[in-house]
Amino acid sequence: MLELNRLSKRYGQVQALDECSFGVKRGRMLGFLGPNGAGKTTAMRSVFGLVRPDRGSVHWRGRPVGQADRLRFGYMPEQRGLYPKMRIGRQLAYLGRIHGMTSSEAGTAAGRWLEELGLSDRSGDQLEKLSHGNQQRVQLAAAIIHDPELLVLDEPFSGLDPFGVETMSEILRSRAAAGAAVVFSSHQLDMVENLCQEVAIIDRGRIVLAGEVRRLKTDSAYRVIELESKSPRPELLRRFDSVISVDFDGFRCRIVVRKGVDVGELVSRLELGGDVTHFTFSAPSLSELFREAVAR
Amino acid sequence: MTSAQAIRLVMAREIRERSRSGAFIASVVIPLLFVAAVLFLPLIFADDDVHYRLGVVGEENRVIVDAALALANHGETDIETTIEVISYPSRTAAERGVDTEEVDGVLVDGGQLVVRGVGGEAGSDLEALLQRGARSVQIEGLVDSGQGEVVGILTSAPLAVRTLSGADPEENAERSVVAFGGLFLLYIAVLLYGSLILTGVTEEKTNRVVEVLLAAFQPWQLLAGKIIGIGLLGLAQFVGTVLIALVGVELTGAFDLPRFPLDSMAVLVLWFLLGYSLFAVVFGAAGALVSRAEDAQGVVAPISMVAVAGFFIAVQSVSNPTGTLSVVSTFIPPVAPFVVPVRFAFGAVPLWQFLVSVGMTVLTIVVMTRLAGRVYLGGLLQFGSKVGIREAFRSAEL
Repeated sequence: MLELNRLSKRYGQVQALDECSFGVKRGRMLGFLGPNGAGKTTAMRSVFGLVRPDRGSVHWRGRPVGQADRLRFGYMPEQRGLYPKMRIGRQLAYLGRIHGMTSSEAGTAAGRWLEELGLSDRSGDQLEKLSHGNQQRVQLAAAIIHDPELLVLDEPFSGLDPFGVETMSEILRSRAAAGAAVVFSSHQLDMVENLCQEVAIIDRGRIVLAGEVRRLKTDSAYRVIELESKSPRPELLRRFDSVISVDFDGFRCRIVVRKGVDVGELVSRLELGGDVTHFTFSAPSLSELFREAVAR
Repeated sequence: MTSAQAIRLVMAREIRERSRSGAFIASVVIPLLFVAAVLFLPLIFADDDVHYRLGVVGEENRVIVDAALALANHGETDIETTIEVISYPSRTAAERGVDTEEVDGVLVDGGQLVVRGVGGEAGSDLEALLQRGARSVQIEGLVDSGQGEVVGILTSAPLAVRTLSGADPEENAERSVVAFGGLFLLYIAVLLYGSLILTGVTEEKTNRVVEVLLAAFQPWQLLAGKIIGIGLLGLAQFVGTVLIALVGVELTGAFDLPRFPLDSMAVLVLWFLLGYSLFAVVFGAAGALVSRAEDAQGVVAPISMVAVAGFFIAVQSVSNPTGTLSVVSTFIPPVAPFVVPVRFAFGAVPLWQFLVSVGMTVLTIVVMTRLAGRVYLGGLLQFGSKVGIREAFRSAEL
């Protein structure tokens, strides 16, 4: 498994990483979340030795990461880019070879991935001749050409159309199912909630929340009630101790309550009668956990 | 993967991708066309006639010249040989004429031939021609008088040949050809391939592929592979052009090749490698500082200035290889690759200076490679505006 242990890195006045620690096991997918400038890219780069932390270490399978380990890692940087004038088949094969594949292994893998992404007839084309969407497919193939044991992707979903998002999700899921540890950063929290078993949330270089998504949600001190009725009286709710906030958009009430609230009592006190059209009681969403953890 | 494997991969990619590009193919074909034009165009327009200028002193010269011409122009030949005869009042005046290249040789009293230099050039053909003429005159005398024997005449050289001391200037000329040629090649290679390396590095940064590469490679491996790859391509292109030129010269006989002193050539190759490596490393690091091709000019200029300075210091070293400037610049690594081969060609660099200079340059290359690797890593991951050297250096503290 991959472990970041108390990484710290300072750039001049900016503390990019501050004792940042989290880990991900093989076969699992971790969403790495945080506002812009929180230190996500710095943390990911440190896995590949592109950033030397001032303190702390990165471990893979219990040992500090070396260059030999990195050959079995796959990386998609935030700043996408490949050689625009190189033919895509050759280009993928080259990227396989720099990760230690033999010439024939790399050639076979390039062919297989192009096939899988529906680009096998474009193998001899220069990258710049491809459409934007297809270039992004090649970019993904470039990160996974060598079947990495660890896959680190910096904002892999940004700029993708819904079909691209689907392809990307599909492939990340299959990589994790095949036993790879997958880490990716994203601002699309709903997607992370769908895909990832685990999250780590970073703010100002510090991990403010990390763990299994399901557990984080159930462990949360809050629950959310959503309610629609013909005669809502949101002002009644504000009198309860266990109610933290009430949002009413004129149609639906969104009520954040403490975890231990007696829902039955709450509902009975609202004197709603029989005209409830919608009622849910659930743990907070990842977005809510995020907003709470990164409170500004 | 070992470093050697990593470097080889980068190198092979550089060579394969670059050799396909139109720009590279043009850069191979254009010099070849130029060489071909220089060699073959004169052939098309030239007449093949051979012309000598011969000085004469005293008597009995005319008959030998006439016989030589008759022999040379006998039979069906497209080439007409002519000898322009210039009379000198004295032997001294005639020898001065040889020295100043007014004439190709001097025939004295029909018995002695005075030629210039080591006899490697025009003199030898003229010499052979006149010897044949003199022999034929002797044989005619034998036929007329019945005295002497044919074998003796044919196996001896009737004209005594004296060579004016001129070997040294000749060799010096060859040495300065080597020195100047080498100087010029290094200069061109540094500027041409140095800027190829710089744009290559900048391109990888501009199209952002570099972060993927650096995740697998050490920065110095990437830089070294690029420098060696582009260096080999340049070398192949250069050697190809020179070979074609040499073959062309042999075929057309456009001019006589000087014989290059081997030691000078070896020193030239050594310093070419040192000079190229040093500048290539610096250009590579400089390329990492800019994100756009438009910004490249700003970082190229200071490096080119150093190369230009080295070139001009070396040019003055040709005329003054032991001067203070030449000696001092022997110990300044970025300038030494230009200056030392020139000084060596003229035997003007003591062994200790030579060795210290090589040592200092090698050391500088090693140090620069380390620094460049760091600037490279720091510079490559900062996109946008031009990165300061200090900033790049700090951000990649190793």
